[in-house]
Amino acid sequence: MEELILELKQQIIEVLNFEDMTPTDIETDAPLFGEGLGLDSIDALELIVLLDKGYGIKLADPKAGKEVFKSVRVMAEYIQANRTK
Amino acid sequence: MKIAITGIGIISAIGRDQTETLASLQMEKSGIGAMQYLRSTHTDLPVGEVKFSNEELRALLQIPHTEAISRTSLLGLSAAKEALCQANIQDVQDMAFISGTTVGGMDTTECYWEDWKNGQKLEYIAQHEAGASTKKIAEHIGNFAYSTTPSTACSSALNSIMIGANMLRTRKVRRALVGGAESLSKFHLNGFNSLMILDAQPCRPFDATRAGLNLGEGAAYMVIESEEEALERGANILGYIAGYANACDAFHQTASSADGEGAFRAMDKAMQMAHVCPCQVDYLNAHGTGTPNNDASESAAIQRLFGENIPKISSTKSFTGHTTSASGSIEAVICLLCMQHGFVPANLHWEHCDENLIRPLLHNQTAEMEYVLCNSFGFGGNNSSLLLSKTVGTDLSVADVPILITQSEIVLEAEPKQYVSVAESRRMTPQTKQVLSVALKALEHHSTDVDAIICATQYGCMRNSVLFLKDMLSSNEQEVKPTPFIQSTHNTIASMLAIKLHNHGYNITYSHGEQSWHDAMQDVQMQMQLGMLQSALIIAFDEKVEEWDEMLQKVSYSSQNIAKAQIITLTK
Repeated sequence: MEELILELKQQIIEVLNFEDMTPTDIETDAPLFGEGLGLDSIDALELIVLLDKGYGIKLADPKAGKEVFKSVRVMAEYIQANRTK
Repeated sequence: MKIAITGIGIISAIGRDQTETLASLQMEKSGIGAMQYLRSTHTDLPVGEVKFSNEELRALLQIPHTEAISRTSLLGLSAAKEALCQANIQDVQDMAFISGTTVGGMDTTECYWEDWKNGQKLEYIAQHEAGASTKKIAEHIGNFAYSTTPSTACSSALNSIMIGANMLRTRKVRRALVGGAESLSKFHLNGFNSLMILDAQPCRPFDATRAGLNLGEGAAYMVIESEEEALERGANILGYIAGYANACDAFHQTASSADGEGAFRAMDKAMQMAHVCPCQVDYLNAHGTGTPNNDASESAAIQRLFGENIPKISSTKSFTGHTTSASGSIEAVICLLCMQHGFVPANLHWEHCDENLIRPLLHNQTAEMEYVLCNSFGFGGNNSSLLLSKTVGTDLSVADVPILITQSEIVLEAEPKQYVSVAESRRMTPQTKQVLSVALKALEHHSTDVDAIICATQYGCMRNSVLFLKDMLSSNEQEVKPTPFIQSTHNTIASMLAIKLHNHGYNITYSHGEQSWHDAMQDVQMQMQLGMLQSALIIAFDEKVEEWDEMLQKVSYSSQNIAKAQIITLTK
């Protein structure tokens, strides 16, 4: 699990272009949207692409992302339970 | 001056001309269906295609196979010829031609990108840029006094109509052919798909179960001239441009604000220009794309503006699909056809009431209409509204006296770190960051908010366009990312600035080759003459991208990095 969390943090930094950040700057349980990292709806779409490409999970409804992308930990748990690759 | 409309031309999924379009509308027959002509792998997505292949369009327009021409230009030429024919105009020497587009030649670029690398089909390279599609159409019609290309994504064609009206009111030309053209492309189909706003079913604007839009294509133009000119030459007047306005939502690159601030301002200003109150509007042709966000935001703006007097409303995108940059003029022409034939068109496929939204008209309804409002909104909150009048018109002010303006020093360099934070710039390319900084630096010496933000670019945000195109082609349309698509529109810079500055003023981008800066400057001066603006920020932007530059060099063209900004103020 910890490995997947670190991997996710690295991917978030890369995909969303947080150039000056390192994985230690992202708190595992902090909200990704609004407060915390302050992501928006475009980032949510990028994370949906990340789930599909990296883990073979297809989210058909963009609103479903709200639950899945609550925090890095929630995201990691969702991936572990649903990944197809 | 009353601005009369003396000719219209249209081509879309519901017909190749006025007659066919009217018949489809009267029969409530949608043109949205399975993909027949676009060679995309996303065949599950319904589209509103013009029911002719490029070869068939060429044959209809008598264009030889050897000539390099994009589908956007073919569609545009068809509608432009029809409008001029109805207006009975053979000579266009005293006319302006203003045609909005964003796709331009992208449909051929995506088709021939690999061929170009091998030195094939090179004649299509010069057809890529937005302005080239306008020039191509003009080339087949005649020697216009002036032509230009506004490119503000889905509001482009309505903005063309406004620019044309301003040209008449400042007596730059006697007549203008105004509107827009846009073909479907795999590029924007994949782009909208990556934003997850395409419905796999026929779109249902304003329905509680609406799940997105269907893309369409087409072109429409109208001939406009002063009523005096029209009467003098015995032209038949089809209607009048009664009022118009563009305002920026200044909220988000792709989403509309919850209260529809920009939409509210655009509609309100258009009606104020005509001194028309909400209760006088007989019909509103909504932008109504069918996305959850647009329809909610637009409804909020309509409810706020019209209160208890909500007019009959429908979105004819349920017939044509969302024809993106051409939608403004396509829907304005549809409004004119309906006004002439006395009926309000239906909003097809609406079944489930959403308590918070306006309730559209389910079926065609007979109605005598004097005032019709037509909305057209683009990415970045570029919101435009046009008020048409059947018989009354509006006596709009004219101004042909030169004005005194003050031009600030042109800013060419700025240190991005001083102007754009790391968090803000994470979606920007280095050149985008540079131009934004240059614009913000120019604003430092200007004490108040500017009334307008106007951008000029030849190729637009090319780094993101190339990035998205390459991902799309190499993955066979399977792996594209939303960010480069969002950031690829010509109007990206102008809208990013509006969002950062919370600027709700006039917002536009010209993309007509090297002439774009001149066009932007002319726009400012016209609006200052007419008392519509006191100040404006003008920005020139272009981005040298290696792969694109290599293509250009094959035909002895080149591109360069351009970032410059200037403030223009009206001297009191």
